[in-house]
Amino acid sequence: MKRSLVLTAMVGGLVLPAAAQQPTATRAAAPARPAGEWSYLDAPLTGPVPSAGKLVAITNATIMTASHGTIPKGTVLIRDGKIAAVGANVTVPAGAEIIDGTGRWVTPGIIDAHSHSMAEGINEGTQSVTAEVRIEDVLRQDGISIYRQLAGGVTVLNILHGSANTIGGQNATVKLRWGLPVDSMLFAGAPPGIKFALGENVRQTNGPQMPGRQARYPRSRMGVEELLRERFTSAREYQAEWKQYEAARKALKKGQPEPIPPARDLELDALVEILEGKRLVHGHSYRSDEILMLLGIAKEFGFRIASLQHVLEGYKVADEIAAAGAGASTFADSWAYKMEAFDAIPHNAALMAERGVTVSINSDSDERARRLYQEAAKAMKYGGASEEEALRMITLNAAKQLGVEKLTGSIDIGKDADIAIFSGHPFAPASRVEMTLIDGRTFFDRNTAPTLQQMIERMQRRGRPNTTDADAEGGAR
Amino acid sequence: MRRFAPGWLPAIGLGLWTAAPTPVAAQAGTWALTNARIQTVTQGIIEKGILIIRNGLIEAVGATVPIPPDARVLDLSGRTISPGIIDLASTIASGPAPAAPAAAGGPGGGAAPQPSGRPAGYDPAAAVADELRPSAADLKAAREAGITAVLLSAQRGGIRGQSALVPTRDSLERADVVRAPVAMHFGFQGAQGTYPATLLGVIAYERQTLYDAQRYGLLADRYRANPRGLERPAFDPGLEALVPVVRGAMPTFFAASNENEIRRAAKIAGEFRLKLTVVGATEGWRAVDALKGRPVVVSVNFPGPTESTGWAYRLARKDGPDSTRADSATKVAIERNAAALHRAGIPLALGTGGLRPAELIPNVRKAVAAGLPADVALQALTIRPAELAGMGQALGSLEAGKIANLVITEKGDLLADSARVREVFVDGIRYELSAPPPARPASGGTPAQVGGAWAMTLQSPQGPMELTLTFQQSGASLAGSMASMMGNTAIDEGQVAGQSVSWATTIQMGGQSITLNFQGQVEGTRMRGNATLGTFGSATFTAEKKP
Repeated sequence: MKRSLVLTAMVGGLVLPAAAQQPTATRAAAPARPAGEWSYLDAPLTGPVPSAGKLVAITNATIMTASHGTIPKGTVLIRDGKIAAVGANVTVPAGAEIIDGTGRWVTPGIIDAHSHSMAEGINEGTQSVTAEVRIEDVLRQDGISIYRQLAGGVTVLNILHGSANTIGGQNATVKLRWGLPVDSMLFAGAPPGIKFALGENVRQTNGPQMPGRQARYPRSRMGVEELLRERFTSAREYQAEWKQYEAARKALKKGQPEPIPPARDLELDALVEILEGKRLVHGHSYRSDEILMLLGIAKEFGFRIASLQHVLEGYKVADEIAAAGAGASTFADSWAYKMEAFDAIPHNAALMAERGVTVSINSDSDERARRLYQEAAKAMKYGGASEEEALRMITLNAAKQLGVEKLTGSIDIGKDADIAIFSGHPFAPASRVEMTLIDGRTFFDRNTAPTLQQMIERMQRRGRPNTTDADAEGGAR
Repeated sequence: MRRFAPGWLPAIGLGLWTAAPTPVAAQAGTWALTNARIQTVTQGIIEKGILIIRNGLIEAVGATVPIPPDARVLDLSGRTISPGIIDLASTIASGPAPAAPAAAGGPGGGAAPQPSGRPAGYDPAAAVADELRPSAADLKAAREAGITAVLLSAQRGGIRGQSALVPTRDSLERADVVRAPVAMHFGFQGAQGTYPATLLGVIAYERQTLYDAQRYGLLADRYRANPRGLERPAFDPGLEALVPVVRGAMPTFFAASNENEIRRAAKIAGEFRLKLTVVGATEGWRAVDALKGRPVVVSVNFPGPTESTGWAYRLARKDGPDSTRADSATKVAIERNAAALHRAGIPLALGTGGLRPAELIPNVRKAVAAGLPADVALQALTIRPAELAGMGQALGSLEAGKIANLVITEKGDLLADSARVREVFVDGIRYELSAPPPARPASGGTPAQVGGAWAMTLQSPQGPMELTLTFQQSGASLAGSMASMMGNTAIDEGQVAGQSVSWATTIQMGGQSITLNFQGQVEGTRMRGNATLGTFGSATFTAEKKP
């Protein structure tokens, strides 16, 4: 019983085999896969790294750049993992590896601005402020959901701490370099971030007192605001202490004893980085009043909110969000799963975008992450967003919220070649991702993916995999 | 991974365990062991030699050694003497499980406060040698597998405190400790119901505490040098104990098994320049780069193929071999771990790491079959762990002046397939093992009838917990379910052997699967026994059959 449930859940996430009559993207010079036994097992690390062709060209495809329109029959040229040229008239140098894009649609790799994939720990819920904990410390590289997300064109994740705490842990921005050790999946150029949370999850976590457990402060939205103000006030004092120490060290004369440094506090270190604008805040929020509260705290302490997460009532305060320069990362049409999500509308993303907010659509779920392109399409259907605006909601805008827009998020010269190749228009219901490239390397290719039947057979033979790969959807929202 | 839970041994000591060989004599004195093949480990093999023991030490060893007139002579023709095994990855409990906190968390209370003010499993000042009460049965099981010294350390927590190397002799006294502290032990288990509860918090807590210890050392030094005009630093025995650790004077033993754990441990050690020894490292071959330049205590408690990192990756490859072949290939890689580390130039010791002591040598043989040179394996069981524990001058080889810890095998050298341990000397005390009884002794006649509902009380580390068991018995096998505040879960691997009952169940908690193992003894309509609760430690239980 238990096993069959697991199997069903896993099969639900599998990749369907390409239909035989569909034209397939072919590689003229596909990288040689190691034949025979697993080179994986002998390798000190995780597996054969997809080879990086020095020169790769995706030709004759419909290219949706997300930044400067759609090119009907275009070419993307990739040199050393970066986009070297894009356009209708790109000369492909001799020796380039060709990916035939005839009949294909090419988009930037999809960026999920809210994920809990890969983490062997989501909520350190024992305290309401845990700015010192780091998702980066607990990542695991081999969950099957990573592969499934690649099969949905996803290349970058913003892996966040859960929403149990007023100030949760530090995020990790990763590229889905499936098969590499976990440190190689970290997105090197991404600025650090942190999760904040407001409202019911924070208020209710460890709320009821139970034997062996103390009721946790804060228990109301008032308390959440107070706690934020109190912590940032402490952070300012801590910052001043260190400044004083550094000044004393500079002014030190020969023969004088070295000043004693203040005690290092990992929690306050992270908060000081926020005050100094070095750490991006991703704030879980639902109601318009709490959104305004967080924007107010940020203004009071002089930092910016990089993204409001969920932000289902964002449409009510879109002007205020835009004025604060905050981003908004929301669901397309997931609502009413709890009291504070009752006022949600599917027009939210488009309405906020119309008022000048940088809007992204996220998954918060390993399952939804596989089809974020369909979520983006809903912003067109309901809110009337333009095609490019909708695409940006899962690419360039998310990149902006993560502070990586100079590196990825659109098909522009100089950016990392993080690319998804679709069988048809990405917003069409029947379209599928054929290939996913990260830094110009193929990390997913439907031609070399096992079929659904093969995967089922393997699972049946092997039983349940021991991965911490539970679907992250649910209570965490 | 099947974990050996030594704690339950006493409870079912009358069951399966009478099958193990038992010592028939234990006496100290002067011994001359003659006509033996002697594996000295450090000075080659003596084909037919004599080893003299006096007052717990090796007095002499060689091909021709005069036999002292007062020595009792043991003719060991056809037998081999090897140094006793030193197990630095022992999971023997150093003392009884801590009593459940009384009335845990009455109104307003959190988890029971520790005297140190730190959560259980997080007190660096905690020293095993201060409360040394391993069970005699555990020590005996180790000894009879040829293990003459074990490193006792707390098995749970993040900063677990200080370990002690003890001989596996009966009626162990504190005075018998070989060395303490040997190391400061770290791990990745969260605290119960308080910060740090998750891996996220554990790593942050460890880093913060190590920063605190660095500063504590700095302030203490200044104050010691000249207290005048200085505010007195607050005394903290935990940080005091960590100062030699952050200064690299005391070794850090970090329990880390899979690839990512090893990398996490190495990262922390690198950040604080700890003198790191990873203990476990069952996936060391996947993290050779992180282990380079550091000694490793490798557990031969091999994980199963689906417990290994990258399982899902293999599943998702179209051109991979079928699953059976993938399994066997993974198994080979797992057993090749020690060989791979050795080839990479990493000095290693081998240990049980949760394995039943009797399975240590058989699994070491598998590691040898997978490519670990036999002489390296023998060193990794003897002289290397002695050195790692800072006792290389006194233990780990058969040399004059060293402690008389030795193991005597028949039918081959210690690691030979056919070899059997017949005698063990610990601190010069002789423990003779009787010949093994025939396999599969009757274990108490017809199986007890336990089908039906039971009301069970589990004395968990979090306090007493009420559960309802529903057994369906079919001969010697048990199925059914277990209901509690943790949910309703199915009973797996249920077995009845005589009056002994065992079963397991897997609960989901905080996104993790935790397997709970139970061992009970039935007396009519009552049952009592022990449980291991995965990362939550161990517990005792009682149950009564519902009418």
